[in-house]
Amino acid sequence: METLMKILVELRPDVDFEENKELVDSGELDSFDIVSLVGELCDAYDIEVGAEDIVPENFNSVEAIMALVERLQED
Amino acid sequence: MAFTSVQFVVFLLLAATSYFLTPKRYRWVTLLIVNYIFYFMAGAWYFIYLLATTITIYFAGLKLGNMAAKNKAAFAVAKKDLDKEQKKAWKSNFTKKKRRVLIPALLFNFGILAVLKYSGFVGINLNALFAKLSMGVEIPIRSFLLPLGISFYTFQSVAYLIDVYREKYEPERNLAKFALFISFFPQIVQGPIGRFNDLAEQLYRPNSFSFERVKFGVQLMLWGAFKKLVIADRAKVIVDTVFGFPETFGGTYVAVAAVIYCIQLYGDFSGGIDIATGAAQILGIQLEKNFERPYLATSIPDFWRRWHITLGAWFRDYVFYPLSLSKFFMKVGKKGRKVFGNYIGKLLPVLIPQFIVFFLIGIWHGAEWKYIAFGFYNGTLIVLGILFDQPLKKLMEKLQIKTECFSWHFFQVLRTFILVALGKIITRAPGVSASAYLMHSMVRNWDADILTNGGLLKLGLDTQDLWVLLFSTLVLLCISLLQESGIQIREALSKQNLLFRWIIYLAAIFSLILFGVYGLNYNASDFIYRGF
Repeated sequence: METLMKILVELRPDVDFEENKELVDSGELDSFDIVSLVGELCDAYDIEVGAEDIVPENFNSVEAIMALVERLQED
Repeated sequence: MAFTSVQFVVFLLLAATSYFLTPKRYRWVTLLIVNYIFYFMAGAWYFIYLLATTITIYFAGLKLGNMAAKNKAAFAVAKKDLDKEQKKAWKSNFTKKKRRVLIPALLFNFGILAVLKYSGFVGINLNALFAKLSMGVEIPIRSFLLPLGISFYTFQSVAYLIDVYREKYEPERNLAKFALFISFFPQIVQGPIGRFNDLAEQLYRPNSFSFERVKFGVQLMLWGAFKKLVIADRAKVIVDTVFGFPETFGGTYVAVAAVIYCIQLYGDFSGGIDIATGAAQILGIQLEKNFERPYLATSIPDFWRRWHITLGAWFRDYVFYPLSLSKFFMKVGKKGRKVFGNYIGKLLPVLIPQFIVFFLIGIWHGAEWKYIAFGFYNGTLIVLGILFDQPLKKLMEKLQIKTECFSWHFFQVLRTFILVALGKIITRAPGVSASAYLMHSMVRNWDADILTNGGLLKLGLDTQDLWVLLFSTLVLLCISLLQESGIQIREALSKQNLLFRWIIYLAAIFSLILFGVYGLNYNASDFIYRGF
């Protein structure tokens, strides 16, 4: 979780990732942020994120992003 | 059958009556029959294309669904004996198999669209190239009439197929129900492009009659007709005059026409969408939102999030993400970091696919160079916006420019509107060189006096019509500002006294009758996006 928080804060220092649970639905993260974030996640966790994984539910909160990472690590 | 015609109102009335009179179990069947009658009335031959898409996408979806089910069962058994690498290989092997079904279906359906829409354009340009190279070859050129709504139903059905390929949901197993999903008559003409997981269930379930919904639907249709008939078709007169005679009307006339064209296009397209949404609402179906006050956007990306939302979302989900997350662009990003540094390198997998998306959005609008130029114009603005985002933020901090205030917000909206209006000149001018000529003339021959010395009266509208256009546009602006501040107009109206509500309804109806622009035999002009 620490690595993820570090990536997120570096990507968007202006966003409150701990409190905001609607990162995509509220428009806080846009498609450019998502692509940059995915690039970082792939490098940091050695996972492959496909276009099919890019749904708001997977990126709306830190917990959801972490769950996605864990699921992809298991696959 | 235009949405603003009396025939459409009668058709909708008959469609809704037969839908609600049908026993609940068969309502979806009635809806399918109604859709097919609507489509058949638009042209019997078009029907073949719609059927071809329905059948190919349906069977490809079914095949993908069956493959996924079998694979899931087999994987569940084999999983425990596989290590991480073997699991990856299994997944990759299955993806390859699925692609063998997906790709032919995509090629077939986009192939139909490409041949009908772009073969003339490609042929003309190839012939011009052959002539320049003196090759003595000439390709015979055939132009085709575009089947009604082909871009819209093709995109909608392809989205369904890709989602099934991605195993986002199960495929529809009933062919007739699938046929219903891609032929819903209010939205097949010009969208909004629906998603299966949002729209299909609404179409299949037996919707009950609701007076409240019918009232809201009719109100929205009236509002849409107002935007189309009173605003857009009146604005069209000025726009056609200026852009039809670029040599006569240069300078300030171009700026006036560009602004009025923005109003026309929004009134036309969003008006049509409102009528479609209202008609669907009468039948108990909520279509996706396609506009969110685009001219109040504060940046070009913001504009594209508010304009033709469902098309933008389609390109984001089915072109932008697959491209930017592909192994190729991930590698481009990594190499880019080494060559250009961290900042630019990270942006490359975003910037290049974004440019490709805008190129495609450009040609989606039409097979002409000007639309390609329009795509590049928007792509360039977005790329520049991303590249200069951080440096500009730092500069503004240094200059201590306040960004949390009305004046800054107003500046952003105005700046975005001007950039959008310049882009509209590209699409509305007869060609790319004509648009360059018009923009040049706008800067060189600026003469603001035409706004006060009666110059505007040369553009085809008399004083009364100009006032009607100005006043109705102000009404549209006020409503948009109220909506932007979070007020739901129809809900707010329903809370008012009966007398006040009826004054508003009657004012809307009479303004349509008195100020709507109708041509010969009271046929309003065609919707612009119907042609896409």
